[in-house]
Amino acid sequence: MDSARAPRADLFDPASLAALGHIEIVARWIVDGFITGLHRSPRRGFSVEFAEHRPYQFGDDLRYVDWKIAARADRWVVKQFEEETNLRATIVLDVSRSMAWSGAATRLTKLAYAERLTAALALLLIRQRDAVGLVRYDDQVRTSIPPRARTQHWRRIIAALDDAGAGKASRAPDALERAARLVIRRGMVVLISDLLMDVSDVERAVRSLTAAGHNVTVLHIMDPAERELGMSGEAVFVDPESGLSVPATVAEVRTAYRATVEAAIGEWRATLAAAGAGYEVISTDAPFGVPLRRAFAARQDLP
Amino acid sequence: MSFLAPLLLGMAAAVAVPLLIHLWRRRIGTRVDFPAARYLARAEQEHSRKLRLRNLLLMLLRVAAVLFVVIAAARPVARVAGGAHAPTAMAIVLDNSLSTSVIIDGEPVLARLRAAALEILDRAEPTDRLWLLTPDGRTWGGSVQALRQAIDQLEPLGGAADPRGAVARAAGLARGAGFDASQIVVLTDGQATTWTEPVAIGDIPALVYAPAETAPVNRAVVGAVANPVRWTPRGAVDALVLSPDSVTYRITLEGRTLARGTAVGGGESGISPVQVRAAPPERGWIAGTVEIEPDELRADDVRHFAVRIGAPPRVSVHAAAGPFVRSAVDALTAADRLVKGGEIAIVPADALERLPAFILPPSDPVRLGAANRALERAGVPWRFGPLRTGAATARGGDLDGTNVNRRWELHATRPSTDDTVAVIGREPWIVAGDRYVILGSSVDPGSSALPVRASFVPWLFEMVSQRLTGEPHLVVEAHPGDSLRRPPWADALETPAGERVSLTGAAMRAPPRTGVYFLLRGSARSGAIVVNAEPDESRLARLSDDALRARLGGRTTRVIRTDEPWEGQVFTSTDRRSLLVPFLLAGCLAMLLETMVAGSAGRIARRGTT
Repeated sequence: MDSARAPRADLFDPASLAALGHIEIVARWIVDGFITGLHRSPRRGFSVEFAEHRPYQFGDDLRYVDWKIAARADRWVVKQFEEETNLRATIVLDVSRSMAWSGAATRLTKLAYAERLTAALALLLIRQRDAVGLVRYDDQVRTSIPPRARTQHWRRIIAALDDAGAGKASRAPDALERAARLVIRRGMVVLISDLLMDVSDVERAVRSLTAAGHNVTVLHIMDPAERELGMSGEAVFVDPESGLSVPATVAEVRTAYRATVEAAIGEWRATLAAAGAGYEVISTDAPFGVPLRRAFAARQDLP
Repeated sequence: MSFLAPLLLGMAAAVAVPLLIHLWRRRIGTRVDFPAARYLARAEQEHSRKLRLRNLLLMLLRVAAVLFVVIAAARPVARVAGGAHAPTAMAIVLDNSLSTSVIIDGEPVLARLRAAALEILDRAEPTDRLWLLTPDGRTWGGSVQALRQAIDQLEPLGGAADPRGAVARAAGLARGAGFDASQIVVLTDGQATTWTEPVAIGDIPALVYAPAETAPVNRAVVGAVANPVRWTPRGAVDALVLSPDSVTYRITLEGRTLARGTAVGGGESGISPVQVRAAPPERGWIAGTVEIEPDELRADDVRHFAVRIGAPPRVSVHAAAGPFVRSAVDALTAADRLVKGGEIAIVPADALERLPAFILPPSDPVRLGAANRALERAGVPWRFGPLRTGAATARGGDLDGTNVNRRWELHATRPSTDDTVAVIGREPWIVAGDRYVILGSSVDPGSSALPVRASFVPWLFEMVSQRLTGEPHLVVEAHPGDSLRRPPWADALETPAGERVSLTGAAMRAPPRTGVYFLLRGSARSGAIVVNAEPDESRLARLSDDALRARLGGRTTRVIRTDEPWEGQVFTSTDRRSLLVPFLLAGCLAMLLETMVAGSAGRIARRGTT
């Protein structure tokens, strides 16, 4: 099949895509699709080293078309380059109990979604010769993998995703502090979490990271049911982490709930922006390309 | 408010459903894992007060919706204020008696009563049943237009008539109409002499409208008669004038002034008598009036009378009649009361040849048979019986107490309508009939004390002039509308305008207008019906509110005066209307509001978070 016409996995429905294979395979598909969809070369203004050709796609910059091949073989390809950088990135993944939840059986849990996103992002970064590390945490730091740029290192990250987790709290500040220690030089920290925690604690940790020169991006993973309260009837809603139980009639509180969630998102966005961090709400029914592009954009802002 | 289907009100128990839902809504068994429960708790915490109020409002609206629908299903009906009144049986008694023609503030009281009646009719609806009644016994029913026309044409009566009877009839009509709502309205001047006794109207609500003006001082002629009725040609007019002070009067005969004078007036009763003697030149039946100066109540300033004026009777006295009779006739002749002649004979029965005659007992007991035969020949339905002696006392009119020693029994030979002038015990002593008078004793002191009594000569003159003149001379005093017996010989009435009205039947009703109505026998005047107002109608004193209320119904009666508005006084029963539609609309409105409130929760929440 012509790769130019192959469906892009990064734009697939996440649940459908995840059902097709192991996380490692899925992550590759995502990254492949994502790279295929990049309209512009990832490098601009830096010394780069040629890496490979890929078929020309509509929208690609004509500056990178290999005219020699076009003249010789009548085939349009664009040249791709590899950076000569040594960016060190750390992905901080929330694996607390609240992440292991989905509002619908047809959707991935927040954790499953986040793990696939983590794998894809790590692969994408490694393919750019960046060093990638991983910190998994719940009520404690469960996994701490220092950044490396080797391809085998990605497999280690994939393997670490199966480590234990699902603790009854999310101690993000500790995890971010651990990440700061793993990234000694200026680098990138991507926090993937449902952010069911206090803003002030996270704010302090993020400020510490940004003060140290790190680029911090927070991907706020939300199930659509959490954002819209898209259920019905009456029930006692129980927080699996804190045990907080709230009896409510969905129809009566839905609108107020939505307003509260939007207010919370606004608070996160404002607080993190003030702290110099990027912030994006990611819905678990959104294709992986969406958060990947957001995180990759943050990468591109770095040297 | 009442219900046509009250059993359906049992469905009101359905209001328990929203109540239970409201009270039990937090008893939830389902538990759901929801990591974002903190947002839910915060949402409830921030909006809990609004949510509680909203839930309470929703519960109330739902309960109200259920209640309204249930009430509507029970088909409520109620009297609704402000709408058209209930169909009402309304009887209006309009007092147009003579006293209501008194002029106060430039217009008759009747005009105000009439205006009030029209105002009541303005408030009538086509569904009402209406009557108009007047004291003279007339009743109008039908449309508002017909009653309005009747009111416009009403004139004051000539007398008091029967206002109480009108009210009683009005009550009967209103009660018999079978309407849920009924009312009597009495429009009257509130004259004390009219409403002397209570009128039973049952439980029919009554409204009395009586203008509040105090009655003006009234002067009136409350009595006028010719004395005697037959003047020969001398006679007198006796009148009674009601006036607190002196007042001038005028007496007329056929429009000609007979006499003028001044009545003194005053006195405890306010009535002063007036007597005027005269020997006028007119002859025959004459209509006369006694008049005083006009005042606010014009109708009682004139009173009518009738008199028969003729020449002195011509009388012949039989030699056997005795010296007392001759002396009496001579005295009357000398006084120009009688004239010697052959028109009327004063004669013993045995010498009787023709009528009219004043018949004395036979001059000799042996002539008894001849006397009875003569009576029979003359057509007199009496005969003399045995001679009775012994002291006895007569009774009858001016002859009361006359001692009688000898008398002949008088036996009627056939039933007759003759008068018995005087009796002794139960037996007739003096009888009179068509052109005859029979005396049971001879006119001598040995038979009775009659000839030596002072009243003998006037009595003899009255017998001769009033009973033997050969024609009836009946004068009937009546009030407007009175029921009367028709004299058997009267064929027709001659009205004051000269029109002839035929009379039939045994009874007749006095004309409604005051005046002298002559009774005609053939074409000749033979008597008169003199129609005048009741004397009490001239006394204009008013009753108080309490007294009027007591006379007209009692506790269900209201009395209003001039300045009080009619609104809320008549047609006060409001209509019973179905409230089905209003309650259904209210139920729909409650449901609509419930929907709006339920939908407004989002807006409330958004306002709460900004």
